[in-house]
Amino acid sequence: MKKHLNFHPIFIAFVSVALLGASFQNLYAQKAKNTVRLKAKYVKIMDGEIYFDIAAAAKVGKQNLDVSHVDIYAYNEVNDEEIELGKTTTNAKGESKFVLPNLNALKPDSTNTYTVNFSFKGNDTLKKASKSLSFKNADIKAKIITKDSINYISATLIDTDSTSPLTKTILNIQVNRLFKSLPIGDEYNYTDENGTIFVPIEEGIPGVDGILTLEVVLKESNDYGTVKAFVKAPVGVPSVEESTFDERTMWSPRNKTPWFLLIYPNILIFITWGLFVYLIINLFKISKS
Amino acid sequence: MNTNDKLINDLAPQKFGKLGVIWTSTLIVIIIIGIIAYIDQVIKGQVVTNMRDYALWGIYISNFVFFVATSFVGSVTVAILRLTNNTWRTPLVRIAEIITLAAIAMAGITIMLDMGRPDRLIYLFIYARLQSPITWDVIIIPSFLVISFLLLYFPLLPDLAILKDHFKEKNPVLSKWYGKLSLNWRGSDKQKALQAKSIKIIALMIIPLSLILQTIDAWLFSTTYRIGWDSTNFGGYFIAGAFVAGLGALVTIIYIVRRVYKLEDYITEFHFDKIGKLLVLACLTYLYFNINEYLLPAYTASVDEATHLNTLFSGSYAIPFWTVTIGGIILPIIILLFKKGRKPLPMFIIGLIVVLSSWWKRYIIVTPTLLHPFLPIQGVPESWRHYFPSLHEWAITTATLAMALLIITLLVRFLPIIPIQRTADEQELLKTTKTIEP
Repeated sequence: MKKHLNFHPIFIAFVSVALLGASFQNLYAQKAKNTVRLKAKYVKIMDGEIYFDIAAAAKVGKQNLDVSHVDIYAYNEVNDEEIELGKTTTNAKGESKFVLPNLNALKPDSTNTYTVNFSFKGNDTLKKASKSLSFKNADIKAKIITKDSINYISATLIDTDSTSPLTKTILNIQVNRLFKSLPIGDEYNYTDENGTIFVPIEEGIPGVDGILTLEVVLKESNDYGTVKAFVKAPVGVPSVEESTFDERTMWSPRNKTPWFLLIYPNILIFITWGLFVYLIINLFKISKS
Repeated sequence: MNTNDKLINDLAPQKFGKLGVIWTSTLIVIIIIGIIAYIDQVIKGQVVTNMRDYALWGIYISNFVFFVATSFVGSVTVAILRLTNNTWRTPLVRIAEIITLAAIAMAGITIMLDMGRPDRLIYLFIYARLQSPITWDVIIIPSFLVISFLLLYFPLLPDLAILKDHFKEKNPVLSKWYGKLSLNWRGSDKQKALQAKSIKIIALMIIPLSLILQTIDAWLFSTTYRIGWDSTNFGGYFIAGAFVAGLGALVTIIYIVRRVYKLEDYITEFHFDKIGKLLVLACLTYLYFNINEYLLPAYTASVDEATHLNTLFSGSYAIPFWTVTIGGIILPIIILLFKKGRKPLPMFIIGLIVVLSSWWKRYIIVTPTLLHPFLPIQGVPESWRHYFPSLHEWAITTATLAMALLIITLLVRFLPIIPIQRTADEQELLKTTKTIEP
């Protein structure tokens, strides 16, 4: 019996390591959590909402899956201090919108930079994750100018806190449409030394009653995030209502049948069935004669 | 026995022999099986069929189109040949009229079988929307049913009066019925004038009505924008197809009736020769429309159209497609162009092939298009990508075909299948002409 247990020490060590590794692997397999990735974007609408677009995704196997219905906490970080701003929950697509009442809800640091941290605290299957976002406050002031019968949109981009214009920065000009905004002007509109751009508005763009909603957008700037300014102005062409809802068409309901379709087929039906009646009367006449 | 008595004896309805009884019983059994299957379909819903979201028109609709096409025969043989003074039509017209009536009656019934809720049939009338081709169909089918009945009934009146006298002693009950149905026909000048005038009106009416019927049937498809259906050629294509289907059915039934009732003296090889020529004309016309229907889209095909045509030409529907094209159009043209091909037996075989091809042709028109929708088929069970009728569908459809054959059989049993009075008048005319000739 003793002879049987007399294994080589190296063999015993190898088996022990293998067994230990296997047990750890098993342990890991049971409690393995998936890593969550958070994305956050800061968006400021001039004279409107200030919000953060948040998206949560996790890599499960080789697939990136949306992390739905989880709570994301928002904190304002100022000088190593964390002030809780609130929480938001992701939707079925793993997306969430965290709205700030105004920018005064945040405290900036000494350089007037705001830092917001979004944190997911983890759960049984997902690891905790966080995403930090830093930005400064910028304003866009936009207006419509008419010069030589041509309409222009003028927009000035400034750093709000320093009130200094932001030069050589790209601003996008676009017209608000139903599905996606329509870009107008040059592809890249750089602000000048006054932080201003000056873009002509094309003629003939349709809008309800000729009113267009023009958007000036600083898009996903590293320092200032996304800032949008909207200007409504009657610089478009009134759009024509092309609905045939009240007309008599081939695709209308039965009470709006086109007149020709009511008249001609009914005449044909009347003649045909009138002749049938005549022929049946002839049968009676034959039987009586 | 004088000529008239012989004529009446030859042409008066005869009792079924053993074969006739077996034939009728078989049809009744098939119909009963179909009715049981239909009741089950009504109880369980159309889930018992293999029609699903994509193949939402199946064998019922193709069968309906076949019946509508077959009903065209009345207009061709009776109306057109009458208006063009083709006197050889006489022994064929009654059978054509019977086929027309049976086919259009069954077309109306078949369309109802396709309804998930047949109890809502009345809604088709109450909520009719004149913009919809379905409504046009709802209007034209009853109209055509009425004209088909009148087309059969008016010329029957003198024959019914003859049969009343003929069966007076042999079968008084039958004689009584013939008497009632003959509407006191005595052959007076007034009655003859009324009958002639009425038949003329019917002959004139049935041509536009049958053209409208076939065209509406085509428009049911071509107004849907679907690949394979969205064609301005479809109206003419359906009329030409109906021309072929109707004549095929006529040839087949004429041959059987001629053999069973031994009418070789009345329906002669001359008649087969004539109708054979008419069938060639029909097939050539149909071939022309088929070339238009397939060759031009093949030449200018979009990706979707090409996929559809490939399915027909070389894909999963290639065998039925080429079978019906060759068997139902090309083969009849080749064979019937030869005089020997227009003899009764070859004509019967060709007629049978034409009828079968006509039925499958409608299947080819209806089904492949439905399986090629504009948006890709996805997120549905694999079986929904294909369609082949279920047992219920086959049972019900076979029953409708059996019912059409039963209507024809019963009408052939109780009506003179060759117009007696007209044949007598023509023979009299012939005799007179011969006498006058030196």
